[in-house]
Amino acid sequence: MVDIKRVSPVSFGKSPKRTEVRDNWTIAMEYDSEGQGLSIVDLSHVTRLDVQTGDLSGVTPFGVAIPEVPGQSVLKDGILINRMNGIQASVFQLPGNGADLPTDVFVTETTENTLCVAIMGKDVFSFMEKVSNLDFMDPKMTAPFLFQGPCCHVPCQIITLSKDGDKAGLILTCSRGYGKDMIHSLLDAGVEFNMKPAGEEKFSAWVASL
Amino acid sequence: MALTITCPICGKRNGYEFRYGGEDKGPRPEEAGLTPEAWCDYVHMNKCVAGVQKEWWFHKDGCGSWFTIHRDTTTNLEVKGPEADK
Amino acid sequence: MMTRFNQLPTLKIDPTKKVIFNYKGKTYSGVEGDTIASALYANGVRIYARSLKYHRPRGLYSLDGECSNTMMEVDGIPNVRTENTLLKQGMTVKEQNVKGSAEKDMLGFLDKLDWAMPAGFYYKMMHKPARIWPIAMKQIRKTAGLGEISPDFEMPGKFDEIFPRTDVVVIGGGPAGMTAALAAAEKGLRVIIMESRPWLGGFFDYRTAEYKDGVALYQRGQDLAQQVEANENIRVLKHTAMVGAYSNCLVTGFQTGTDKDAFNERYVEIRANSVIVATGCIERPLIFDNNERPGVMQVGCALRMARNYGILPGENGIFSVGHDLGLEAAIDLFDMGMKIGCVADVREDGQDPELVLALAKRNILLLKGWVATEAHGKKQVNKVSMSSIDGMITRDFDCDVLVASAGLTPVTGPLTMAQIKLRHDDFTGFFVADEMPENTFSAGRILGINNALSIECSGTLAGIKAAKACGACDAAEVEAAEAAMKALPGPVRGSKLVTAPVKGRKSFICFDEDTTIKSVKQTIDSGFDVPELVKRYSSAGLGPGQSGIPGHNLPLYVAKYQALAGVPVKPTTVRAPIVPTFIATYAGTNHTMHKRTPIHNLQVADKGILRKIGVWERVRYFSEDYSCKKEIENVRNNVGMLDGSTLGKFRLHGPDALKALQRIYVSDMSKLKPGRVKYSAMCNDDGCVIDDGVVVMLGENDYYITTSTGRAGQTVEWFRYHTRYDGWDFSMVNITDSMGVINLSGPNARKVFEKITDEDVSNEAFPYSGFKEMLFKDVIPAKVMRLGFVGELSYEFHVASSYMTSLWQLLKEAGAEFGIQNFGVEAQNVLRMEKCHIILGQESEQRTNLLDVGLGFLWDRKKADAKTVGAVALRQAENDPSRFKLVGFKMENNGRAPRDGALVVDSKVRGYIATARDSFSLNEAVGMALVESELAKVGTRLEIYEDECGDERIYGKVVPMPFYDPDGTRMKS
Repeated sequence: MVDIKRVSPVSFGKSPKRTEVRDNWTIAMEYDSEGQGLSIVDLSHVTRLDVQTGDLSGVTPFGVAIPEVPGQSVLKDGILINRMNGIQASVFQLPGNGADLPTDVFVTETTENTLCVAIMGKDVFSFMEKVSNLDFMDPKMTAPFLFQGPCCHVPCQIITLSKDGDKAGLILTCSRGYGKDMIHSLLDAGVEFNMKPAGEEKFSAWVASL
Repeated sequence: MALTITCPICGKRNGYEFRYGGEDKGPRPEEAGLTPEAWCDYVHMNKCVAGVQKEWWFHKDGCGSWFTIHRDTTTNLEVKGPEADK
Repeated sequence: MMTRFNQLPTLKIDPTKKVIFNYKGKTYSGVEGDTIASALYANGVRIYARSLKYHRPRGLYSLDGECSNTMMEVDGIPNVRTENTLLKQGMTVKEQNVKGSAEKDMLGFLDKLDWAMPAGFYYKMMHKPARIWPIAMKQIRKTAGLGEISPDFEMPGKFDEIFPRTDVVVIGGGPAGMTAALAAAEKGLRVIIMESRPWLGGFFDYRTAEYKDGVALYQRGQDLAQQVEANENIRVLKHTAMVGAYSNCLVTGFQTGTDKDAFNERYVEIRANSVIVATGCIERPLIFDNNERPGVMQVGCALRMARNYGILPGENGIFSVGHDLGLEAAIDLFDMGMKIGCVADVREDGQDPELVLALAKRNILLLKGWVATEAHGKKQVNKVSMSSIDGMITRDFDCDVLVASAGLTPVTGPLTMAQIKLRHDDFTGFFVADEMPENTFSAGRILGINNALSIECSGTLAGIKAAKACGACDAAEVEAAEAAMKALPGPVRGSKLVTAPVKGRKSFICFDEDTTIKSVKQTIDSGFDVPELVKRYSSAGLGPGQSGIPGHNLPLYVAKYQALAGVPVKPTTVRAPIVPTFIATYAGTNHTMHKRTPIHNLQVADKGILRKIGVWERVRYFSEDYSCKKEIENVRNNVGMLDGSTLGKFRLHGPDALKALQRIYVSDMSKLKPGRVKYSAMCNDDGCVIDDGVVVMLGENDYYITTSTGRAGQTVEWFRYHTRYDGWDFSMVNITDSMGVINLSGPNARKVFEKITDEDVSNEAFPYSGFKEMLFKDVIPAKVMRLGFVGELSYEFHVASSYMTSLWQLLKEAGAEFGIQNFGVEAQNVLRMEKCHIILGQESEQRTNLLDVGLGFLWDRKKADAKTVGAVALRQAENDPSRFKLVGFKMENNGRAPRDGALVVDSKVRGYIATARDSFSLNEAVGMALVESELAKVGTRLEIYEDECGDERIYGKVVPMPFYDPDGTRMKS
């Protein structure tokens, strides 16, 4: 008998201390010794949507208005919306928000399309400097904001949720197929910042603190 | 890469995030009455100016937009538009 | 071991902390802060290596690694620049380029054979008669080259990279660089300052001369360094050599790690909004006979050895200099205990009177207008001949160190790399930039100034100009800083002497390549008349130090020797990496970035053999039998499953979606019906076929399309490019990675399918070319297509990637009783070839159009309004008899299959083999070939030429396609 389950593209090579099964995903809630350095959290199970139509004005996924300027993001009640360009936005339904998905024809669910991790900690931008040439510390950029550009030479969406000292952190997505190599590269670059896998709880607590 | 391209959505980025889309030649011609020569010219003939040209770029590693910039082909530097657009 | 000064305020070492290392098998000790070179010197080592060509003894010369004199093998790594590499506990250091030892090198005799090795002797000698060359080449190769490395050597250590962004990057951490950084940081800008030495301070750092108000220069340097390091806006990258500078303010370098760092060396690529070049000066070598004999060293080297490393470089010094810094160094070294027999200054006048007075007070003989002409001593200098610069009078002096320097030369590498034309300035003797790249400014001694206050002020001015370029201050502030600069002393006159009055047979202009003045003369006499050509023919400046030693002297000497009127002195070009850099540093972490399918691990566990195919890693075979016999036969007889997850997949929706489809695909997409799969192709504007795949209508203005694996990354780009002028409202989502794909094929496919679903999947309910969306086990969403690429009954399951593991297990379990087995990409390749289903890129190349490969039936000619990409060209090509045709063939006399890519020939090339295999299904060798249309008729004999087959040919015959199941009953029933 086959056990029906969903498999994340992300593996940290370490078993979580506590997991939770949700919608057939086995979600790591907490790891042993998550540490004080950088944290990396697998969020590949987080529902993600592509909203794309010629006229985005008045489109409000989960009741949240899409930011007007590409590159801007908004985080409200567990919904994160990032304006990608003139006609497109990416939407994240973060853990805890259980609202039904919009059924509009211009919405495509893309949860499965990418891997998704959050990286949090005060050294997060020193870390990102090793894997990307994007200018996260540009004083003109105020969090939350979206970068669409390369990380580890792979096109990514990177949403900086906070640039603020210990609270600094971001969410990164890229094509799911890169899971193994991307996580390997991130963990390798993270060694000097004591990067450790952490569970969804740490992520949720961080989001709540923002 | 030293080359930078300014994407109208994402701003100034490293050149390797983009793919070149050729000189700007205007929309596709109507097919009715189109001679083979005229078509071939539209597809293959370029001005190849030594100087400023208007050209297409695609932000493949970024927002996925096609857009035009002006670039001085003698210095390989982006220059301000459209007064230079001749 | 020599006694070392341990109390100097300028020391960079901690004499109380010993560092033990191994040199030539013996244990030596240095101290913390030592470079390998300084530790060796402290231990009495004077000869560090032998030179490239003549095996001359070489020693410490510049202390900044400007030549290969002190390159050694350290911990197995050849060509380590020991002047720039800090000593570490337990290091193993060896000499290189010696046969025996550096002290007693058995190839030392080569120095006497210089007459046999003139400039360009590689080109001139040993090729007549021709049979000599192979023998000579072997000998030359044995002796040529610096350092040795074994082919299986693996670089130890950790190498990575950073890509910092900043407003201003300052190249050079001397006084000008530091004041520039402070000025820019004060305007609130982000600043990065990079300095090649392990500390800030530049040429203030080791000088005790007065800066101002009783403060010594080194104190001022330390004070500035503290301010810089304490400034929050400034990021200091020490021990970071710049190796490249490019347009758009891109600066690269590498940082050497300390014990505390996570890396040994780190590649640094900085993108800034403004660049400040404050690289300062190095010394211009003085050219005389044996000017590179160990014991001969530059002013900065001698003084820094004492001031920074606490080592008096010799007991008896002689100076032959061309600049006030030389006089200052003589005074300081005298005060530290060096006996100084004489200071010769090439300048007849113009010396700082205070320095002249200070020399006189110490009874040091100052000879104005004099210069060293020859260093004596077989392996180490013990005597020097001096002469007046006209060569009239000569005197000899005993010494154990000869401090020699012709003058200063600005470090213009970053400017030449940024393609700035440099002009020779007759007053300073410097190469100067009249025009700078956009947002790039220079500061400090590179401008020819030498006064400490001027240098700092020039830094401040550059910092403010950079701030203005970044929009952080206004023009008035720049004007004020310019006015301040004008009030201070400007550039100083530089010494112009190029060479002492010598013939030059043993006077070296380039140490790395053993180029003498005589070689340069021979080169010019051979007709190479500009410095760039002289450089290449004489190889001066082609060594690891590039322009460090010869960069300034070579063009000056060429100009002087040619004595042509009105020809400007032109410098040669330097190229990245300006400073020798480990390849490991450039490689960095060098992770491979490949995609894997959702069932990658399961297939590998089933003995899948991987190949990198484009961005993907895919399973090509499931056994070591690369003919894939078992995999193929199992699909033909039972059922197989293939991981097709790499297929490109897209959702296309929006009001103008159909218009976009009509533009891109050759078929008429208005005829699509829900529940049916439409196969079609895309062409480029030349009508050449670039991709094929299927289109499914999901709903109104809502489509699902697939593309080939290789085109997946460009499909959105392609659609948008060809509609970029139209302003159509359509949306495209690349969902390639959203869904994995399993292709279930074989006569038992339906039986397996039935076991995992309750839906009716009979041939009537789910016919060939059908499409259904369904849920497996109530939760797994799937799009299922009835296709037949491999020529059997076949279903393609497109399933959410996260559920792919479960689906794969379900199919495996359900198929166990029907003999289900995996098959890989190669088996699929053979299966579809037997059926003559093409793969674009295999049965086509760049010039192959839709009609050539027999897909003309897909093209709808009646939709001219759609301006379908490729349609105009196809119309033109339709009646063109010169085009290739795709044909099927089988081999004569049961022969083997030719290799893919073999040529079809007669008296000339007539085509080529696209794919051919020994077919197990048909028991004969078959394949497809693209041939000229006159060879396309069934029955035509094809003469096939394979790579390296000589006169042998193999023969095939054109046969009808497809070879396998021609009426398609197997895939359609």
